[in-house]
Amino acid sequence: MTLDQDLVRHLSEVSVSVELQTPEMTLNIGPQHPSTHGVLRLVARVDGERAFDVRPVIGYMHRGYEKLAEVRNYPQITTIVNRIDWVAGYANEIPFITAAEKLMELEVPPRALWIRLILTEMARMASHLIFMASYPLELGAQTPLFFALRERERVLDLLEGVTGGRFHPNFNRIGGVKPAYGSGSQTRKLIQDLPKTFYEETRVAMDEVLHVCDQLEDLVAGNEIILARTKGIGVLPPEVAVAYGVTGPNLRASGVAFDLRRVEDYLPYDQFEFNVITGQNGDCWDRWWVRLQEIRESARIVQQAIDSIPSGPIQAKVPKVIKVPKGETYVRAENPKGEMGYYLVSDGGQGPYRLKIRSASFSNISILPWILEGVLVPDIIAIMGSLDFVLGDVDR
Amino acid sequence: MQLLAEVMSNFWLGLIIKLLIVALLVPVIGMIIGFAEMKLSAKMQNRVGPYYAGGRWGWAQLIADGLKFFQKEDIIPADADRPVFKLAPALVLGATVALVVVIPFGPNMAFRNLELGLFYALAISSISTIGVLVAGWSSANKYSLIGSLRAAGQLIAYELPLVLSVVGVVILAGTMNLDAIVQAQIATGIPYVVPQFLGFVIFFIAALAELSRLPFDMPVAESELVMGYLTEYTGFRFLFFFLAEFVNMFTMSAIAVTLFLGGYHFPGLSGDLATVLGPIVLIAKSFLLVFVMLWFRWTFPRFREDQLQSMAWKVLVPLALANIAVTAILKVVI
Amino acid sequence: MTSSQPEAEAPEQEQETVEAPHPLTEFANSVAEAVGGEAVITFDTVKVSVPADRWAQALTTARDEFGLVLFSFLSAIDWSNETAVGDPLEQPLEEEYIELICTVSDVSEGKRVTFSTRLDHDHPEVQTLIDVYAGANWHEREAHEMFGIRFIGHPDLSHLYLPEGFLGHPLRKTFPLLAREVKPWPGKVDVEGMPSEEGEEGEAAEGGEGAETEEEEA
Repeated sequence: MTLDQDLVRHLSEVSVSVELQTPEMTLNIGPQHPSTHGVLRLVARVDGERAFDVRPVIGYMHRGYEKLAEVRNYPQITTIVNRIDWVAGYANEIPFITAAEKLMELEVPPRALWIRLILTEMARMASHLIFMASYPLELGAQTPLFFALRERERVLDLLEGVTGGRFHPNFNRIGGVKPAYGSGSQTRKLIQDLPKTFYEETRVAMDEVLHVCDQLEDLVAGNEIILARTKGIGVLPPEVAVAYGVTGPNLRASGVAFDLRRVEDYLPYDQFEFNVITGQNGDCWDRWWVRLQEIRESARIVQQAIDSIPSGPIQAKVPKVIKVPKGETYVRAENPKGEMGYYLVSDGGQGPYRLKIRSASFSNISILPWILEGVLVPDIIAIMGSLDFVLGDVDR
Repeated sequence: MQLLAEVMSNFWLGLIIKLLIVALLVPVIGMIIGFAEMKLSAKMQNRVGPYYAGGRWGWAQLIADGLKFFQKEDIIPADADRPVFKLAPALVLGATVALVVVIPFGPNMAFRNLELGLFYALAISSISTIGVLVAGWSSANKYSLIGSLRAAGQLIAYELPLVLSVVGVVILAGTMNLDAIVQAQIATGIPYVVPQFLGFVIFFIAALAELSRLPFDMPVAESELVMGYLTEYTGFRFLFFFLAEFVNMFTMSAIAVTLFLGGYHFPGLSGDLATVLGPIVLIAKSFLLVFVMLWFRWTFPRFREDQLQSMAWKVLVPLALANIAVTAILKVVI
Repeated sequence: MTSSQPEAEAPEQEQETVEAPHPLTEFANSVAEAVGGEAVITFDTVKVSVPADRWAQALTTARDEFGLVLFSFLSAIDWSNETAVGDPLEQPLEEEYIELICTVSDVSEGKRVTFSTRLDHDHPEVQTLIDVYAGANWHEREAHEMFGIRFIGHPDLSHLYLPEGFLGHPLRKTFPLLAREVKPWPGKVDVEGMPSEEGEEGEAAEGGEGAETEEEEA
């Protein structure tokens, strides 16, 4: 008995006064990781649940595009350029081919421009639908993935029907677009154009895409848990965004109504009615919302374009061996991820002297150290997902 | 009927029969629920689900998966605490099976009708928390440990609403004996979900959290923690955890049905018919609740850990307390 | 002040942003005057070249006075006579230099200016733009590792894309491509007949001399 009493008294005297030291842990997210959209590595110092000093390490997918472009001629470059942002393959080729055509002072026939516009908008829908699928998945909802990817398959089927490729179309040629049926000198004399079923299939597909946007809105937009996980998270003020060069839906979600489709004339967007969607707060929710609305706008543009497509040749007359005259220019386009531009320096040869590729995701994720400062670890995933980047676009 | 009653009254024979029934029931129900999850989720997501295993229905998919797990190599990490590592799945599955014991499948048809049946049930369900903690700790893996601590935090936080939400039922029924609670509901003719709707909702939410089902599955689906406390488990030990989760879904639903939805009773059933059809009614009602749990999983994303905790402590516990207070007052007044 | 094409921005459909049509020459001239450089309009792009010691001030003026707040990119061009890969320049340069280019834009009408400056070829260094545009951080790191440009005042010029300890500056014209050491550009036709390999593989075979395949692409 006394032993017990002594023990009890002893134990009660020993008070736990040690400061529980929680040292900071260096957390390494990636490079192989389900939520980082590719091989991105984040080195974060984590104190409990909060992350400080997040440093992205990129370059795992660096393929040296700019050096590759210096040893290839223009038709060869179009084969590789669509691999930069592989989710929206077609859209990467447009500013490049427009830059080359500008230096050659070529007049691209209107039918080719319409076709380019339709396919670019389809690439935009494909990219945004992947975002619609993967972003709720990172938050835990598994069902929107299937809805969005189902419709993306429709769009990719259309792209494949026209260009022959779902992800890497390589459909542009200097002066227009590639003839859809065959490419030999004999078949050149036949009528080569969009597949006959393309028009009707596109109309049906656009209706389905609009329908799935409604479904996604029902499923995701009103969900309390999604709102709790995205509203107010990762707020990006517009001044910071422009200083870092963030463009595209990320910038528009912060309230800046800047859409390159309105201010640049690389494609005839002024012939169509569409809205420039902006958000109010610049948080993850707004970035999701802006992209959903942009899918709708793209579908409407395609519907208008399909109804008003002019007839005519699809490629301007170009010499057999293409030499682009001396000059430099910068052409930028509204890619799904943001502003994609090519600074083309030509010395009169068959290939560029220097091709600088300005990719959207590179600037978009340069903001990660700023935006992830002091953020809870699960929110890191939410914020990164909402920026919608692709590592091919980052690393080139 | 007479023969059955005589057989059951013999202690050893009855015991063996009860053990056999439980041993068969648990895996079969686990597999049925697993299969239902696959097929239902496929329906909701515009897919087909298991198709090739077993004709064109895919019913043999779970059996095939089970066999696959059994023939996998049993890997235990070198630094792991071997006996504890092996104990953890047994704890979790054991706690679940032990819950099945008190559920009344018909009038006087619980495997063991304890006077403190409800108390026993809630207490036993906490043992699986220990299983989770032990699993993470014995894995000798930093991330498993963090995952299991997080899981334990969530499980402990939601114990309180779970317990408090059923107090209202106990007040109304006046007993903790599960069979007697069902009888009380039969006597008044109104299942307790009507007067105790708030308690039902809180119990359901807390049960979802106890099961680590979406929207509360942070412990298992952490993006940077691989599979949380389950990382180092392979083969049939992993199968045990998964089986435990499915069976636990069933038992929690069965308890909810017993407490709130009238248990094995169906209007118009009495006497011998009740003895035969009672279990079927109970299982059907439980599957209904299980269906709702599956439905939630495929619809909602997951809560963040701190949102989860604040919901438990700041929302559910005060509501449950308020429920108890109101029930107690009304019981005295009315 | 030269212009290769007469320029007039077409009025766009107005919904949120209204384009006030004015020729770029006026804009280009005003920018050049304000920063003390020379403006050129090359194929719809306004290019203003400034001396290297006024680099940071020029961009500060662009940002503050002309509202060019959106930082598009910063990169360099290696004007050099010897090239390890690719074709050399048609007309050899008298003086080799590294041209630093930086494009900035505004966010309302889409006016953009590409500022350029000339740096020494062998030891290029220039003031950093981090204080003017925060986004220049990563672009300058990339320019540093690709060209060897030293940005004075940059806090951390570590490698962005290339692994640690990578020797050389890849985008310089003198940097050889290993694949091209093995097979000379423009990728001479291999002995194992090329014509069957169309499409992806054939791109290595289609070189400057591959006239028949050129015709199909064109």
